[in-house]
Amino acid sequence: MKLTKATALAAVSILAFAACSTPAASTAPSAGASKGELKIGVTLPLSGGAAADGQPTLKGAQLAIDEANAAGGIGGYTLKLVPLDHAVNGKYNEQQGAQDMQTFVADSKVVGVVGPYNSAVAKVQIPISNAAGLLQCSPANTNESLTKPEFGALDYRKSNPDRINYIRVAATDDIQGPAMAIYDYNTLGLKSMLIVDDVTTFGKGVADNFQRKYEELGGKVVLRQGAPADTTDFNGIISSQAVVATPPDGVYYGGVVTSGGGLFLKQLRQAGLTIPFTGPDGIVNGSGSDEGSLINIAGVEAATNSYGTVAAIGDFPGKAAFDSAFAEHFKADADFKTPGAYSGPANACAVVILKSLEAALAAGAADDAAIREGVRKYASDPANKFETVLGTESFDANGDTTQPYISFYVTDPAAKGGVGDWAFKEQQSFGK
Amino acid sequence: MSAGQSLPAPVELRGSGIRSRLSDFSDRHRSISVLVGVGAVAAALPLIVLLPPFSGFSGQTVWVDGFTIAGIFILLALGLNIVVGMSGLLDLGYAAFFAIGAYTYAFAASPFYGNEFPFWPMLLVGAAMAAIFGIMLGAPTLRLRGDYLAIVTLGFGEIVPITILNLSQYTDGPNGIGGIDAPTIADFTFPTTGNPWPYYLTMVGLIVISMILIYRLQNSRLGRSWMAIREDELAAAANGINTVTTKLLAFALGATTAGLAGVFLAAKLQTVTPNLFRFDVSFTVLAMVVLGGMGNIWGVAVGAFIVFMIQSVLLKQLNLFFDNVQIPILSEIDFLQYQFLLYGIALVAMMLLRPEGLFPSQRRKRELHTEEDAEFGELGDPMGASPE
Amino acid sequence: MASMAVGATARPNVLAALRHSGASPYLFIVALAVAMYFVLGPRQFVNALTIGAIYALVALGYTMVYGIIELINFAHGDVFMVGSFVSLFVLTNVLGQEGSASDLGGIVFELAITFALTMVIVGILGVLIERFAYRPLRNAPRLAPLITAIGISFILQNLVQIIYGPSPVNTPQVISPTARVDIAGVSIGWVNIFIIATAIVLMVGLQLFVSRTKMGRAMRSTASDREAAALMGVDINRTIALTFLIGSALAGAAGVVQGLYFGNIQFVIGFQSGLKAFTAAVLGGIGNLAGAAIGGFFIGFVEVTAANFGYFVWAQAAVFMILIVTLVFRPAGLFGQQLGERA
Repeated sequence: MKLTKATALAAVSILAFAACSTPAASTAPSAGASKGELKIGVTLPLSGGAAADGQPTLKGAQLAIDEANAAGGIGGYTLKLVPLDHAVNGKYNEQQGAQDMQTFVADSKVVGVVGPYNSAVAKVQIPISNAAGLLQCSPANTNESLTKPEFGALDYRKSNPDRINYIRVAATDDIQGPAMAIYDYNTLGLKSMLIVDDVTTFGKGVADNFQRKYEELGGKVVLRQGAPADTTDFNGIISSQAVVATPPDGVYYGGVVTSGGGLFLKQLRQAGLTIPFTGPDGIVNGSGSDEGSLINIAGVEAATNSYGTVAAIGDFPGKAAFDSAFAEHFKADADFKTPGAYSGPANACAVVILKSLEAALAAGAADDAAIREGVRKYASDPANKFETVLGTESFDANGDTTQPYISFYVTDPAAKGGVGDWAFKEQQSFGK
Repeated sequence: MSAGQSLPAPVELRGSGIRSRLSDFSDRHRSISVLVGVGAVAAALPLIVLLPPFSGFSGQTVWVDGFTIAGIFILLALGLNIVVGMSGLLDLGYAAFFAIGAYTYAFAASPFYGNEFPFWPMLLVGAAMAAIFGIMLGAPTLRLRGDYLAIVTLGFGEIVPITILNLSQYTDGPNGIGGIDAPTIADFTFPTTGNPWPYYLTMVGLIVISMILIYRLQNSRLGRSWMAIREDELAAAANGINTVTTKLLAFALGATTAGLAGVFLAAKLQTVTPNLFRFDVSFTVLAMVVLGGMGNIWGVAVGAFIVFMIQSVLLKQLNLFFDNVQIPILSEIDFLQYQFLLYGIALVAMMLLRPEGLFPSQRRKRELHTEEDAEFGELGDPMGASPE
Repeated sequence: MASMAVGATARPNVLAALRHSGASPYLFIVALAVAMYFVLGPRQFVNALTIGAIYALVALGYTMVYGIIELINFAHGDVFMVGSFVSLFVLTNVLGQEGSASDLGGIVFELAITFALTMVIVGILGVLIERFAYRPLRNAPRLAPLITAIGISFILQNLVQIIYGPSPVNTPQVISPTARVDIAGVSIGWVNIFIIATAIVLMVGLQLFVSRTKMGRAMRSTASDREAAALMGVDINRTIALTFLIGSALAGAAGVVQGLYFGNIQFVIGFQSGLKAFTAAVLGGIGNLAGAAIGGFFIGFVEVTAANFGYFVWAQAAVFMILIVTLVFRPAGLFGQQLGERA
């Protein structure tokens, strides 16, 4: 088993060479396109445990690009989707996210980027994309500090505070959290709550916002606890002193199902607590037949009496059509054949970029730099509206969606032949 | 060989001629040879990536930016090598010091506390903070041996991010701290994107300085004490080495480069979050040190570079690679989903093939295989400088 | 090296243990348990015992492997994870079970088959890992097998992820999680009782095996001095393989229990559980079987106590702080042999 140093070096250099010996990408001209190829970047965590979040989201964007190419491209250009994975050791990694954004920025053919998924990654990417003026549209980020100056957004766009390059289709946590607080307190009549968050940027942020509003309304928080994202045992929290002493009327879980939301709900019901389980969009992730969904993990019976907000218009006419188009398009794939919670928003983001590209080309943008700037300018202009699967989208002066709709969903155990699904209940606009 | 200075020089079979004269020179003028060596590599890398096949992958600026991040890991590996490789103290929570350096700069130069301390002196402050925490960690562990020490360091590596995460009022918890100032020189602010050279050159400078200092340490009385403790703590103590101070200094000095790396990372990303300093950073850096060849300064630097490139470039680009070469079956496979498998296999295979690392420290090797003394030396050093 | 012999010869009887110098930690543990019962109340006490039992089972494998070859087997947590998936495979693909079994006979039959198959399969996996990833490195620098252990951990995770997907997967809870029994006015889940009982049976069985059988003696002698044991005619390779077989089988049993208790598993659960189990093993004095088990329960109690009073986010940090403080005063853990000078 002894190798000489020389062989070891040779082996290493072959490895390194294999890593890099890619023939110049994008040299083959695609059929039907006269002007060549433009790229749309996707920056998501795509491997390891995070694949469950990233892959369906990626496919939402893929669908939009494939449809555009099938229709002959945009303005004579063929589009190519370039997904980069910033999961390191199975979890999103900010530093890898920053590197990927540098890659996109440096590639002059990239006209816009869909992503990221996690707000924490956006915090390292926005300074880079802002300095370069590259449009970034996030399907899933909800942390308010990314866009709103009053929450510190200017820290992230220091290079060009007034040149908006980061837009998003999801309503922010300072809307989503309080919306559920109002709903819980007024509509469901829950006067005391147990609040648990998953100690992530998203989960803790939305739970903080929920708690602030809920207490302002006069609600009583029985207990607020954090349960880090790898928690499996919630029994200690469920039968904790405070909860046993004053049983709460309801539960708010700030976090996502992969952090343990499903297990929490399951154990809650097993402990005999049938009180309403409420949470943000992180828990509204598909029907009982989707592996990894809240209803699937907790079981349809346990999931009964659960309420979730979705930071988007829930009742849009395109949803059914999108779902079936998605299922049709990816039916040959091994995994992730059905849309995830952010497939639709990712599709909308891709469409916003495509429409902006079309407009920029129509306005005469010729070279790569002009196209990139044209896309950014058109997409971030509050005057422009985009028809997407989420409905008509447009973005305000900070890059936030101008229709911060919050939709309320409730679990319906009878749906989908008894496996259970989320049913749209009502939606409210929280616009100014 | 530095070994020749500290130990009675063994009989070495050296090639004659230019090569031996070169290595004699590099022994005598260690600082110059490090400067020239790192400088040559640092100059060559950006040029190599201009050539195909590398150029087809991404542009030079992206490569150079990636090398800069790789440099952060090289700094980490150099520091951990002091603790693990030279002193033989197994540290599984090294990322904690990285976090402390990064948060030191984040507190000192961001709107969160409204401070605007400049980057350059903060490099030293960050390194000093990390060193102080190194001593704090070292103090209670002095009585511990072997793997008990490992678990305490592992615990420390978990406690630090958990504390940062949960003391939200002081650290903004999982949100992290944003808007951290980029380094400046006079009126020139380091650009966030487009021009990677200022960060790159700074990193090269940090590596050169760290390597020179570590080489000097290694050949100092302290360095020899570390190695004595590594080999036999009792014997070292019996020979008059103050094991308490020596071990504490190993932790403290090992932590300093992590502090430097942390400050640099904070300034580079302009945002820090606790997620950046999870246990997997500690494990990755440990793998870099062991794979590179514990105790060998050049070896761990190269090991860090290789592991980083595998993790961050090779595995991420396999899809693109196989798409482009159009091998029927391979281009169908989504290699992203097999990253860990390949990384795991690479770790196991490299360890099985080279149990002492890719570039074993000659001195450690000699200690481990006294009967094979004749073999060593005949190959010289792969990096052009002798390993110790 | 802290020898397994210590744990093996320590009497289960507290009074007997008192006579030895190492008695005070046992007394301390008993006192702590009683205090915990009054602080937490019966319900939380059972919660803590249940989760502690799972940690303890995993910790045993850690401590056995460490005791015999001084390797921190970082892949052990993932062996446990594989165990949970093997039990899922056995339950759904072999036995065709969905949800809870209805009658007692069905429960006994299915659990017996599941435990047996899972423990055998996972035990063999452990032996294979030892054979191909650790044995070739037995004379290599000590950190080399540590790195291959990390590599194996990645490989196992990715393989399970490829087969079962990255999402959490439901497992049949053979014992209905809502089936409860009243004991002295306290409602306790049958599943909790089953898990605690299983863990205790396995631990006592292991203790007896190590202290009473010939193979157990071979293991103890290999742990205390490999060369001397070899000279006495102990087949070292076989003994080490046996250690991995048993340690991994216990991790497999813990995997079955994990699926049974939570009804849901994911390919990433290995690391956290492994980390906690490792901590438990060190806390108890690595190499010491009773110490590892007590360490596992101890961590369960720290977690539940933290959750009980609203400080769950600090649980992990508290575990490590306690560990550090313990090691400062007892550098070889609570029950480890207080060896002065050997690393």
